[in-house]
Amino acid sequence: MTTDALAQPALVRPITLRRISDRSGLNTAAGHLLMVLLSIFCLFPVYWMVASSFRPANAMFETSLWPMTGSLDNYTQAIDAIPIGRMLINTLVFSAVSTVLQLLTGILAAFAFARWKFPFDKLVYTGVALTWLVPFQVVMIPNYLLVAQMGLLDNVLALILPNLASALAILLLAQAMRGFPKEVVEAARMDGARNWRILWEVLVPNLRGTIASLAILIFISTWNEYFWPLLLSRTAENSVVQIGIQMFMTTEGNQWGPLMAASTLASLPVLIIYIVLQRQVVQSFMKSGIR
Amino acid sequence: MTIASAAPPRLRRMTQSRWAPWLYLSPALITLVVWIYWPLVDAVRLSFYQWNMLPNSPQLFVGWDNYQRIFALPKFWQALRNTGVYIAGLLPLAVLIPLAIAIYTHDLPARSRNVYRAIIFVPMIIAPVVAAAVWRWLLDPGYGLANQAIKGVGLEPVKFLSDPKVAIWTVILITGWKLMGFSTLILAAANANINPSLIEAARMDGASKWEVIRDVRLPLLSSTVLFLVVMTILLGAQWSFTYINVLTGGGPLGSTTNIYYLLWDFGFSTMSVGWGSAAAVILFLGFGALAFVLFRLIDRYSFHDN
Amino acid sequence: MNRKSFLLGALALTLAGPALAQTMAPSVDQPVTITFYNYNLGSAGIGAEATKKLLNEFMAEHPNITVEGVPYSSADGSRIQADLAAGLPVDMVQTVFSDLDFAVHNWGAKALEDIAPADEMAAHFEGMSPNGLKLGVLDGKTYGLAYTFSTPILFYNADLFRQAGLDPDSPPKTWAAVKDAAIAIKEKTGKEGFAAGITGPSAADWLFQGVVRSNGGEVISRDRKTLKFGEPEAIEAVAMLRDLHDAGVYENLDISGAMEGMAAGNVGMYLQTSAVQGVLVAGAKDKFDLRASTMPSFGEKPVRPNNSGSALTIHTADPVKQRAAWELMKFLTSKHGYTIITSEIGYLPLRTDIVDDPQYLGDWVKSHPLVQPNLEQLAVLEPWDPMPGPNYRQIVKTMMDAVEMSVFGGADVAATMADAQANAQALMP
Repeated sequence: MTTDALAQPALVRPITLRRISDRSGLNTAAGHLLMVLLSIFCLFPVYWMVASSFRPANAMFETSLWPMTGSLDNYTQAIDAIPIGRMLINTLVFSAVSTVLQLLTGILAAFAFARWKFPFDKLVYTGVALTWLVPFQVVMIPNYLLVAQMGLLDNVLALILPNLASALAILLLAQAMRGFPKEVVEAARMDGARNWRILWEVLVPNLRGTIASLAILIFISTWNEYFWPLLLSRTAENSVVQIGIQMFMTTEGNQWGPLMAASTLASLPVLIIYIVLQRQVVQSFMKSGIR
Repeated sequence: MTIASAAPPRLRRMTQSRWAPWLYLSPALITLVVWIYWPLVDAVRLSFYQWNMLPNSPQLFVGWDNYQRIFALPKFWQALRNTGVYIAGLLPLAVLIPLAIAIYTHDLPARSRNVYRAIIFVPMIIAPVVAAAVWRWLLDPGYGLANQAIKGVGLEPVKFLSDPKVAIWTVILITGWKLMGFSTLILAAANANINPSLIEAARMDGASKWEVIRDVRLPLLSSTVLFLVVMTILLGAQWSFTYINVLTGGGPLGSTTNIYYLLWDFGFSTMSVGWGSAAAVILFLGFGALAFVLFRLIDRYSFHDN
Repeated sequence: MNRKSFLLGALALTLAGPALAQTMAPSVDQPVTITFYNYNLGSAGIGAEATKKLLNEFMAEHPNITVEGVPYSSADGSRIQADLAAGLPVDMVQTVFSDLDFAVHNWGAKALEDIAPADEMAAHFEGMSPNGLKLGVLDGKTYGLAYTFSTPILFYNADLFRQAGLDPDSPPKTWAAVKDAAIAIKEKTGKEGFAAGITGPSAADWLFQGVVRSNGGEVISRDRKTLKFGEPEAIEAVAMLRDLHDAGVYENLDISGAMEGMAAGNVGMYLQTSAVQGVLVAGAKDKFDLRASTMPSFGEKPVRPNNSGSALTIHTADPVKQRAAWELMKFLTSKHGYTIITSEIGYLPLRTDIVDDPQYLGDWVKSHPLVQPNLEQLAVLEPWDPMPGPNYRQIVKTMMDAVEMSVFGGADVAATMADAQANAQALMP
């Protein structure tokens, strides 16, 4: 296996030719049909959200596919009612910083698991994985008390601190690193590289796909976080956009129009991040796994 | 000469490899210990007390009362059964279908591949609460589009969220709808990490497309697939929380509640720290034991490109 | 006088001492900031707008007092719990009535009799509905003044009534009439006959208490030690609801589903708090004729609804802050305060005298007929009994789970309710 893996680069060109001719006509049609159905299933509710954001309150539950009495009123109402610009910026900072920091701590920790066998390593690994199982409400108030003691209430830093590391990042990266061909790492070590260099010059560039997809996932999960920002925010200006969206669900009933408008606006930055980062996921496939 | 120069480097490497892993682990470990484990340990202690969290209020020792009351909840066993249903229902949506999508789209031309993957991913971008609301509208028995279509074909409208037999599958469907993009992304990345020369080697040996998938891709993806399976088993109940909370509240008649929601309802959301802590300990130990077993299995059955 | 009675007299005086010494400062003579935990502020809508307006007006009138509004979720008080645990000042809270007992025994809500001068209280209470004043009373003391509260209203769709051959000008007044009307609507128009906000996770037990009370029963005994929702009167009430369900006209819709169904014109009658009036009116605009009536009665028995909503409670122990909070409380529960709350948010005024006064609500009430049933029920309003003890939420959930199971789940009503009562009784303090 290993010698084969090293000996095939010369055959890169025939791959593309072979792949195109490998596709049989029926497979493509059936596959595409299924994918189209799946796409409709995935997209339709999102379309409905956007369409509803243009509907007035007395037409919110109509079933026409296209809003009959569309207007931008909901958007102006949403922008007037909540400081959505500030909230978007807060959420962007929160998500971006959390993503970068979680990736950093995750890469370092995953390297530790992948590179070394050390006493208690299995225990620590399981311990990391188990943090995922801890329900948030349990740690919510103790974390709040800690943040209050630090004097950081109503500060973006307080949002970020508990999110500095995540089990998902560590586990996924550890798994990807463990699956990385050992001989490449050995080759680098033969060249005299220290661990730090191996990590950042050999492993990370070649795991770009995993890291990019992890970045997308972490960004989205922090973007959609609700309970912790809810507990921390004392003013609307300092809170995140999820709080803003749910502010339209009141004890006097829900204002769906502005809610859908705010939600559509809140989805746009995430969509952009996804489009930018997923190119990294795809491009990593272009490189063969060998430097 | 060789011996003299060989000894010092080995010594250096040995001491370095003793503390080096801990150094790399420290930022993550410190975070996890301070923000998650320390409160959890505190929760273990508090689960034996009745307290309202205020520093000046007395902590009343109640022994195993909190645990007994939780296990005595009428819906406890129903919630456990439902949790099994959630996991079984989510596995196809969160693992199998994304696997098929990741493999199928891998071979498509770049444009349609990216478009399909982006579309599958879009549900993840929407705030969960909003997604729940939109789905509720689409599935409403009166004005929802889904039932309009069903009525148009001549069938009785389905009460997707108020029929106890159907509701849990509806929630599973919505949770899965949201999650597909997550797993597809992870599997696509893992698929991309597979060395293309391995695929080429198999093709050179005359394997058909399906055989290539079966014999080369799937085994190499197995560790990721198993990882996603374990994640679904451990977190499936948590992932559906928002949808249960917004759409059904655990009903109708407890048909959509699961162990996580039930313990949230009677524990975390109730101001009584004792109940909440006991609930957390039960969840942690229960799923922890499950995780331990599952991780062992992964270790045994996964396959690396080595 | 002999020694014994002298000593007794002295003892009585010392014991009465703290009760007589109202603790708040006579005035706010230095700048002070008080925190006001308010759930309307956590929303973006009429509730938040009106609250901010009132707070700004108050601060303009009282330059020494700064009010820091802190939003919190009315579904659970974890923000209050967390802030108190962190040592942050929690001075005044808009407390949901079902949390009142917990607030008194855990969050440090103060009885007005203990902190405010009696004459000021009496002067302020003049003009308030006597029933309304009782809503915030617990163990004989006034802990809260009803602030944003309302009664259960039977909203109905006059267009569907007409289509079903019913007279929209004489809505059903008894549960039997509701059943007949609902059946007619279901048969003639195919739409849902009846929906209610009785069950459901965010409903707690406020509507249920009113239904049981209207049948002569009660959910908890007057001495607040025994639960009674498994007794015959309560079981009868639940059986009546079960009968509606068995007749096919009362479905187990979730709260949002029911409200949106009504707003979309798909439900004939909807029993819910008048607070949702705004949403229903917006949905009905140019679509259908929305009307309102009082809660149905059990035959000849009088209707005995209770309120929903919240009261204002003072928690601070600092004398100056107590005075500041009391001034804010007086402002928010003044004639002007209730005028804003009623006309801009849609809740009930605790002061019945402003209803006919053209300077306050007179004209508004005339142009908003939907509020009439709400005002009528204010005259017979009874308090929403908060459950006692640290497990109060679990008690409510146990009770309401049993109600849902009995009405919609086909379970035996008497056995299920009795069972739940026994389980919940074990959770009482």
